[in-house]
Amino acid sequence: MKKKILIVEDEKNLCLLYREELTKAGYKVTAAADADTALDKLKKQAFDLIVTDIRMPGKNGIELITQIMALRKDIPIIINTAYQSYKHDFMTWAADAYVVKSASLDELKAKIKELIG
Amino acid sequence: MIERYNLFLHEFSLEASKELQLFSIIAQSFFQPFSLMDNLLVIMTALTAGPGLGFNRAMLFLTAGDSLKGEFWLGPASVAEAESIWRVLSTPGIGYPEIIEHNRSLLTSEADTLTKRVKKLSYPIYEEESLIPALNASARQMILVRDARNEPGVDRNFVELIGADEFLCIPLMGQKEVLGEIILDNAITKLPIVARDIELASICGLMAGNYIYTAKLQKRIVDMKKVAAMGEMAMFVTHQLRNPLVTIGGFADQLLDPKTGEKKKRRNIQIIRSEIRRLEKILLRLSQFLRIEVHEKVAVDVREMLKLVQESILARIAGRRITLDIEIEAGLRVLLCDPTHVGEAVRNVLDNAIDAVGDEGRVDLRAYRENAEWAVIAVADTGKGIPESIKDKIFDSFVSTKEKGMGLGLAYVKKVVDACGGRIEIKSAEGRGTTFKLYFRTLPRERGTAS
Repeated sequence: MKKKILIVEDEKNLCLLYREELTKAGYKVTAAADADTALDKLKKQAFDLIVTDIRMPGKNGIELITQIMALRKDIPIIINTAYQSYKHDFMTWAADAYVVKSASLDELKAKIKELIG
Repeated sequence: MIERYNLFLHEFSLEASKELQLFSIIAQSFFQPFSLMDNLLVIMTALTAGPGLGFNRAMLFLTAGDSLKGEFWLGPASVAEAESIWRVLSTPGIGYPEIIEHNRSLLTSEADTLTKRVKKLSYPIYEEESLIPALNASARQMILVRDARNEPGVDRNFVELIGADEFLCIPLMGQKEVLGEIILDNAITKLPIVARDIELASICGLMAGNYIYTAKLQKRIVDMKKVAAMGEMAMFVTHQLRNPLVTIGGFADQLLDPKTGEKKKRRNIQIIRSEIRRLEKILLRLSQFLRIEVHEKVAVDVREMLKLVQESILARIAGRRITLDIEIEAGLRVLLCDPTHVGEAVRNVLDNAIDAVGDEGRVDLRAYRENAEWAVIAVADTGKGIPESIKDKIFDSFVSTKEKGMGLGLAYVKKVVDACGGRIEIKSAEGRGTTFKLYFRTLPRERGTAS
């Protein structure tokens, strides 16, 4: 059974890239363009892992994490952002991993593998 | 009964003492939007001009690091020059503004030999044993030197330079630190410096010190804001550039993968191309934002300036049910630092207005003379208005309500208007629309003709 990943990312092209690459790596990938859509999907389906951006229109990734924690404590979360600086925000510590966006997806893939295999 | 008086007095009653007038001029100079040097020039002029204290000459030093550096020296270089200057100064109708203007032009002219000599001077502040006019920063003392030629405590070169036997040194203090020094003498009239002169000079010194201190604090605040803005900018650029880069990198990797089919390769190249275009656009807007500088102001015909803007805006609303109504007062001229940037700023405001009305509504562009001093370029729309929650943040860089907004548009507008010495007023009601008024100064000589 393929593991299910929810990607929260507002950039359309980036979203497409993640979807393709992670599908290639053997996961079943669902994408959400903003936090509210992501929460909606979480309530309806079960996921094994969430990868979320921080800066997005509407609710940001940190608010999303807070709400996911209230909803389902056990899902591993990876923060995937262009910013180093959110590491100082203690709410990001609640996530299981913090990956700074990079042109190589190796780190992101490695973290996912580490968390859900 | 209530009597009202202008806080900024320009004329004094006949009984008003010279001292009172002097202090009034100095106190008022702090409110002038001139540079630090300009305002110090006003203080120095007050100390040396006819109805002031009546010192003949005043020399200014300002602190740079651990030394006092000569800045300028005001006053006549010779008895002959003094007589001609003082004759002009006693002409009826010649007031402080004229004298200050005279001094200002003097300091920038080649003929200013006194200042040229002073500019070369530099004295330490913090040494215990140093020769006058060097100051001991902890002493907080004024020094009156008499018989300077025979006084071993005075620097020989300085005695030669000043050529006066008697002079008064006043330190300009901040909270604790020495910020400068004023040296006053009566080399031309040879009048002795008396107790009353010293008392008055001390008050002037305290005021000047306080003024420099405030100006320095202000500059520090501006610098800190700049550093903070740079940090914000760096962080913003990281994000804005990283997303397209990650996308380009990722899809380029796929291109190299032999398993990727032809169709997908084509799609990837198209994505990469569009992301590169986006990068280019980001860089263009950033460089435009960073490039605004304060130039000397020029008079610009508003109608002329907005011609190009109108054309591009008309192209933007083509095919939408948006009424664009333009009324620009003929012959309206305003003072701007850079008409291209101002035109671009107006276009930014118009762009926002068009975005706010969506597919249907009304946008008005007006330009008119508000009063003798100010002209207004106003953009009003019937759009969605500015949400209450971000009203006081709309001019901050990198705040945007638009999904793909960079949050530079209004920050750019504000930066441009500020650079021109103008101001912005906004009225907005959520759901009903927004009016932006950009105020610019009109041309001084045209001000009289305002109705």
